[in-house]
Amino acid sequence: MATTEQLTAYLAGAFDELVTDVAFGELTVHVPAERLLEVLAWAKDDDLVDAELLSDVSGVHWPAGEHVVERQTSTTGWPDYRTSREQGVIEVLYVLRSIRAGHHLSLAVQTPDDDPRVPSSTAVYPQAAMFHEREVHDMFGVDFTGHPDQRRILMPDDWVGHPHRKDYPLGGVDIPYKNDKTIPPPNERDLREVVR
Amino acid sequence: MGLEDKLPSGLLLTNMERFVNYARSASLWPATFGLACCAIEMMTSGGARYDLGRFGMEVFRASPRQADLMIVAGRVSNKMAPILRRIYDQMSDPKWVLSMGVCATSGGMFNNYALVQGVDKVVPVDMYVPGCPPRPEMLIDGILKLHEKIQGQTFAEQASGMPGQRPQLPLAQGV
Amino acid sequence: MSIHEPTTPTTDPATDAPAVPAEDWSDDLFVEGADWESLPDAIGEDTLTINMGPQHPSTHGVLRLVLDLQGEEVLRLTPVIGYLHTGIEKNAEFRTWTQGTTFFTRMDYLAPLHNELAYCLGIERLLDVEAPERAQAVRLILTEFNRIASHLVWLATGGMELGAVSMMIYGFREREHILDLFESQSGLRMNHAYIRPGGLAADVTDDFVERCEALLRYLPGRMREYEQLLMKNPIWNDRLRGVGIIDRDTALAHGVTGPVLRAAGEPFDLRKSAPYCNVEQYDFDVPTDVGADSWARFTVRLEEMRQSMRIIRQVLDDFPTGPVMVDDKQIAWPSQQALGADGIGNDPAYIQHIMGESMEALINHFKLVTQGFTVPAGQVYSAVESPRGELGYRITSTGTNKPYRVHVREPSFVNLQAADVMSRGLTVSDVIVVVASLDPVMGGVDR
Repeated sequence: MATTEQLTAYLAGAFDELVTDVAFGELTVHVPAERLLEVLAWAKDDDLVDAELLSDVSGVHWPAGEHVVERQTSTTGWPDYRTSREQGVIEVLYVLRSIRAGHHLSLAVQTPDDDPRVPSSTAVYPQAAMFHEREVHDMFGVDFTGHPDQRRILMPDDWVGHPHRKDYPLGGVDIPYKNDKTIPPPNERDLREVVR
Repeated sequence: MGLEDKLPSGLLLTNMERFVNYARSASLWPATFGLACCAIEMMTSGGARYDLGRFGMEVFRASPRQADLMIVAGRVSNKMAPILRRIYDQMSDPKWVLSMGVCATSGGMFNNYALVQGVDKVVPVDMYVPGCPPRPEMLIDGILKLHEKIQGQTFAEQASGMPGQRPQLPLAQGV
Repeated sequence: MSIHEPTTPTTDPATDAPAVPAEDWSDDLFVEGADWESLPDAIGEDTLTINMGPQHPSTHGVLRLVLDLQGEEVLRLTPVIGYLHTGIEKNAEFRTWTQGTTFFTRMDYLAPLHNELAYCLGIERLLDVEAPERAQAVRLILTEFNRIASHLVWLATGGMELGAVSMMIYGFREREHILDLFESQSGLRMNHAYIRPGGLAADVTDDFVERCEALLRYLPGRMREYEQLLMKNPIWNDRLRGVGIIDRDTALAHGVTGPVLRAAGEPFDLRKSAPYCNVEQYDFDVPTDVGADSWARFTVRLEEMRQSMRIIRQVLDDFPTGPVMVDDKQIAWPSQQALGADGIGNDPAYIQHIMGESMEALINHFKLVTQGFTVPAGQVYSAVESPRGELGYRITSTGTNKPYRVHVREPSFVNLQAADVMSRGLTVSDVIVVVASLDPVMGGVDR
């Protein structure tokens, strides 16, 4: 089984222009969208990485604007978390797992959130990626080009909107049930984002 | 049975009502509408320790046409709601609905876009059993109270639920 | 923000009566799966497209299967899911980290402790703390008992769907004893929210070890009964042997993990390859079988129950003492609770401390309860071996007291992709067997 350091060094050797990032024991490779299929195919065929199993495809939405969590250093000792984006991105994360060796690594692809488009990994993992990419498409609106059957999977087929995006409300959306026109807005419990 | 619409209840039919209601409540057959965690507790209450067979209810009919009671056990998503309504419509009268668990009663802890906030927005409910999930004893308590409710019903009230006339829902006027 | 146009008023302004008569309101639920036209075309002239579910006595919950049939033979199976979608992942973004436990435990409702465990392990990695030894041991014991309970439900419902209705009664009877154990420790029979980030919600009771040992004496005999009932039963054999074959490479190509993969001969188990909760100290085998059919999955699950009991036996023999919550005031308050005279569980020494002695401790406790602890910014993927396969959580934090995004890689969601390839060429009754042997839990599939 390759350790995280060995894998990082090996990946840096093969793709030295890609950013690899090791944090909390997780190895994440940041891949631009146009190189995704190349990296996936390489990871699947390579002897050391041997990524036979595509475990997971998920999405995270980072909307445009500033996201600042302040005062962390004084209360917790952590650095202040500060990101600011002019262009919101949807980050699509892949988890590749090797069965024989037992290690796993993650790939991260960023795509702009007003027109999110990522090549579909069904080109490399034809069956494993089917449901996962349909879910990311349903929840975030990402268009996986080349996916054979891209339609909504969890929400009803005629639903409007992509629920897991940050600009989609938690609740309070209108569903025309005849006897009650308004579903009350959710009780978000007024949990403000706080830092200790 | 049109006679009892016109007579004030209790005039000719008291014993008949009591007999019919007793028969109805003593063998309510549930339709399988188990959705999520509450379905497991419903299956458990049909199992050996909390035996629903004591109340004549161990036969969970798969076909809604053969069932009297729909126990909505679990969270009803917006995708599932039309199907819930369709199954309810397929059940033949007399029929009752028991909403099991807080997700069916009011949306539960999931106050969000995905769930119907209470199945009484979709079907008329006769008994609400809260809990997450309700213990089998709680479910049986709800069922027994429903039995009492059925036994207290007169034919005239029951007639208003006959085909062609839906009972008034509590929220029908757009609360 | 409204996603639909404002709908027509409910009352007719002229007469103030409802605008639409009460009888017609069932037609206006337009939110439905109106996908019939978009389904793939019929392949030949004899093909019949049939819909099984979502309300069906034999599909495992609200699963809709669209079968393309030629006579009785299945040409293609399309699972349609989403009928139990609850928006748990999005809802967790609006609650604190600890409250998230209560949400995630309801996803895979047959193995709730596994959901909680994977979530809490991920948070503990972000926090860079490790739960104390006793907490790890209790977590391991309870999750292994949960594995046994989940496999019992699988046997029970699988047996019922195949017609062996007695298995339903027996499986749920045994599960009751395990649920008694869970209830005595966590207070709830299901959906416990007992495993918290940093350890456990409260310490186990004094008779925990005796209760576990009583269960370990009771269960093996019952399992022998099931084997006697089922193993040589000709109907069980005929319905399971050779049905739903999926070999190792096809299974991995579909992303399938868990007993389905192990029944195809691949001994992949996250407890061995990426151990958690000190499970590497204990001696257990990963049961595999070479048949790759439903019979193999049956034997693998039976053997997994035995191996779980073996692990529990070893943990009980060496049961550690100590605290059950990490000793970091920023994360959790002490949980050495004792039953007071008023019948309420409290820690009198702790209450004395926060009420009488230290104002900072009171403020800290108040903040922990109302706001919750904060977790450093970062992203982890933490996975455990749930009874259905690899259960993984991709947790993203931005340094506040609420998760930014939690995505769950649920094994049932992925395993269901393989239902199509497993049921090509089988009859409709075999489709029931295939889906039952995959053991999907729709709460996890739809989240």
